[in-house]
Amino acid sequence: MLIDRTHKPWATASAAILLIAVAAYVPYVAGSAPVGGGTLPGLVYGTIGFAFMAFVTLLALRKKFPIWRIGRTTTWMRGHLWLGALSFPLILLHAAFFWGHGLTSVMMWLFAIVYVSGFFGAWLQHAIPRRLMRDVPMETIYDEIGHVREQLLDEADGIVAAACGKLEVQISVPDAAVSSGASALATVMRTGSGDADDGAPLRDFYLKEMRPFVQAPSVSHPLASAMTAAAMFGKLRPLVPAALEQAIVDLENICEEERQLLRQRRMHGVLHAWLIVHVPLSFAMMLLAVVHIVMALRY
Amino acid sequence: MSEMIAINIDGRDVSVPKGTTIFDAARMNGIAIPTLCHQQNQTPVGVCRVCVVDVGARVYAASCIRECEPGMKVKTDTPAVVKARTTLVEMLMSDHPTPCARQENSGDCELETMAKAAGVAAPRFARRLSPRGRDDSSLSIAVDHEACILCDRCIRGCDEVKKNNVIGRSGRGYTAHIGFDLDLPMGSSTCVSCGECMVSCPTGALTNKRVVDAALDGEKLDPEWILQLPVFKGVSGTFLELNRSSVVKREIAPGEVICREGEFGSTAFYILEGTVEVYITSPIAHVQQQDTPGGWFSRIRSTLSPRRTHTRAEESGRKYIPIDGPVDLPYDKPLAELTAGDLFGEMTCMSFNPRSATVRAKTRVVVLEMLRNVLDILQKNKTFRADLDRKYRQRALETHIRSVPEFAAMPAEFIAYLRDRVELIRYSPGEVIVRQGDAADAFYLVRMGFVKVSERHPGGDIVLTYLGRGSYFGEMGLLGGGIRTATCTALDHVDVVKIAAEDFGLMLSRFPSIREGLERVARERKEMNRRRVAQTEHVPIGEFLNQGLMEAQSLLLLDLEKCTRCDQCVKACADAHDGVTRLVREGLRFDKYLVATSCRSCRDPLCMVGCPVGSIRRRNSMEIIIEDWCVGCGLCVRNCPYGNLNLHPFATEVADPANPSRMIAGTKKKATGCDLCMEQAEPSCVYACPHAAAHRVEPLTFFGGMLGIEKRSPQGSTAETSK
Repeated sequence: MLIDRTHKPWATASAAILLIAVAAYVPYVAGSAPVGGGTLPGLVYGTIGFAFMAFVTLLALRKKFPIWRIGRTTTWMRGHLWLGALSFPLILLHAAFFWGHGLTSVMMWLFAIVYVSGFFGAWLQHAIPRRLMRDVPMETIYDEIGHVREQLLDEADGIVAAACGKLEVQISVPDAAVSSGASALATVMRTGSGDADDGAPLRDFYLKEMRPFVQAPSVSHPLASAMTAAAMFGKLRPLVPAALEQAIVDLENICEEERQLLRQRRMHGVLHAWLIVHVPLSFAMMLLAVVHIVMALRY
Repeated sequence: MSEMIAINIDGRDVSVPKGTTIFDAARMNGIAIPTLCHQQNQTPVGVCRVCVVDVGARVYAASCIRECEPGMKVKTDTPAVVKARTTLVEMLMSDHPTPCARQENSGDCELETMAKAAGVAAPRFARRLSPRGRDDSSLSIAVDHEACILCDRCIRGCDEVKKNNVIGRSGRGYTAHIGFDLDLPMGSSTCVSCGECMVSCPTGALTNKRVVDAALDGEKLDPEWILQLPVFKGVSGTFLELNRSSVVKREIAPGEVICREGEFGSTAFYILEGTVEVYITSPIAHVQQQDTPGGWFSRIRSTLSPRRTHTRAEESGRKYIPIDGPVDLPYDKPLAELTAGDLFGEMTCMSFNPRSATVRAKTRVVVLEMLRNVLDILQKNKTFRADLDRKYRQRALETHIRSVPEFAAMPAEFIAYLRDRVELIRYSPGEVIVRQGDAADAFYLVRMGFVKVSERHPGGDIVLTYLGRGSYFGEMGLLGGGIRTATCTALDHVDVVKIAAEDFGLMLSRFPSIREGLERVARERKEMNRRRVAQTEHVPIGEFLNQGLMEAQSLLLLDLEKCTRCDQCVKACADAHDGVTRLVREGLRFDKYLVATSCRSCRDPLCMVGCPVGSIRRRNSMEIIIEDWCVGCGLCVRNCPYGNLNLHPFATEVADPANPSRMIAGTKKKATGCDLCMEQAEPSCVYACPHAAAHRVEPLTFFGGMLGIEKRSPQGSTAETSK
């Protein structure tokens, strides 16, 4: 979520809560009475901190039921950010900055990781969407990338076949059409109206260089770099008749779209990968927090 | 016995009855005089002058109108006469397109044949500078005014032979041409398409419009047999001969399906014998996923998401579903019967709309299946039309009136009072039914077709809405100051029920509840129009126009700087609509916003045009909704210029192809589109976005600052779409 001016009330309230908590902590820690989680002030810090943690965790549940009219999800998300940011300092105040042993220590480490990963995620959500918008103008729906690639491959085959007269390629066969033990690839001959001899260099380039890239794009492929791709197409141009220029431009565009899809996949991964750490550890931490509360109250 | 007179023609002494024209006298004696404007079954008028002969007078005489006189010496083929005749033909040819349609199709244009025989190759005279144009408004007859030689044969055919009195002369000098009624397009005139003018025409000025691929399955009929049917009384045998492949007789066994809802077709059916059942097989229900969970989890979900499924507030008043037939189907049990003498499939045939219902033979049925050229002639046939209108008044008027929620409670006796007082009127495509600013003199119920309602403004007309069968218009003018507030134009072939202002006034005075209902609707329409006009009074630019954003009333925008592509909006949309999402998170970009693929509630909602059952419509609060009786024909999906409507399959029972009377599990499709979650305060997609990236906005207000146009949001509304 982008933290902008609309967050001002939340930021102000959070800062006020933090200030009050710290202000209350100073006389508490400066006094002669023992400090720690078991004391009354410690329990108050712990209760408020846990309540914040619980609310923050409930966001996951809220998102499971997006149409429940229990407050806009944006509001929940803002609460998640700001109350989550407050929860760790409050827990530190609850523990009087003592990391603890055993279960408590594990919980604190988990909390620290979740806390840091949360900040990291917030930063990613600031940075990546803007980069995606700027660097991937041909962005598509993430789950549709595979399908779009199939279409691009088919389009590229068609362009080359039309320009070069004929093109023998292997295409994947749908699962249903493949009998047991048979190959999942079929060789097909696509034909067009172009001259086979004139288009031979283009066909060779396509089959040896470009088609493997379009079929299975990888960042290590030379065509994954826009500069290298421009150089490769630049070398190809003098070898083919001027009449095939449009075909080359179309193929360049397909390579560009492939590069953008590669970029989108990578950035999408980065944008969401941190959740793999953040979400499970959050639940683990909440579980340990409940155990910690039960044990602390019971024993 | 009449008095005989003796004359001499080309050196031969002949005797003919007194009063005989020279033309007839020559013909009776085996001497052929060429002519263009004269036909034996018509009164001679002598306008073409091609039949001129030398009678020894100062000028040549037109033989078709000059009566024989005792002792007259007539010369029909002297070099001078032939030269005069050739000059006349040459002059006629100078304005005649060569080859004309008739010459091209059958090679028998009389003028061109005559010109060829006379050796007239390229006329020496210049063509007219002001073209007279073509008239393709009739479905069965093409009018090419350029090919017309003003011989008046069509006029006499129409007036004298068929007594229809539709065609006449219009204009003078170079602007002279044949005209229909008060110089209307032929399709809009009272022409009954009898075909007599076409048969009479010596050139390609009036030709038969042939129907492409007119091969219909069924028994081809002899025109003589067809003419014996009462419904074809008065139809031209010549026309039927020319179009004999456009109508067939079909015998259908009980249980056999004649046509299915949603299919595209081009024919109409007239029942000669038997009874058919008309029904809608698509269940009246929201589209939903087959795997919707049904456990306690979904019960909690239903409790916490207060969406009332399967009903809408305004649906409670709906009692009938409009279809393409003489009856409406009851909403709670969409089934009706048609019997001998009923016609169905008119809209499909005339406007190529999808079939609105499934029709199955209940008994052994004999039908005439016809293409639009034959249907057009039948509809213009006074006998047939009167019969259809009589049946409509007797059987369908009451249900049609009651299908309007505001009139649902109208007492039967008042409907009986209206029965013979209402006018049933037909309009051709493009014809204006009422014009903004005119005096309001009637109230209209749409019986068939689509009416475009538009308002005149500086810079052009603004389309307010489209009205289909079951809708009405004209109440605002009658309830207001007596002046029409908008122009209503027939978009295709439109039939309306016209209730005169005095009957409308009587109805309002006798039934205050109807008055209240109509006044409420009028207020809502007025407010909707005001908002729409207020939104359109800006002039945005560039890409905004290119992307059609100007046309939108409500856009779903995703702020790409905030959107983390989590798809919560899509999930929420699917959850809110029984598992079927109404939005796709893809589309064109405008600035930093993605214009998601979701209904835009366009100002000119093209999707609404042609819906065979009127299930897609615009609510007064502007959103487009697709009602549950959608038959899944997909026309709205094809009509949407932005791809924002989709067909979604759902599980139901369908007829077994091997045994149509048996139902088996299968799937059908219904159209789906964003309804703005109208039962909620905010669309679910916007409500569920965790990152405040989704917005439903009025584009002109939202982008006003960016486009450099003054923000003048309508009173009471904000940039975010309000409901």
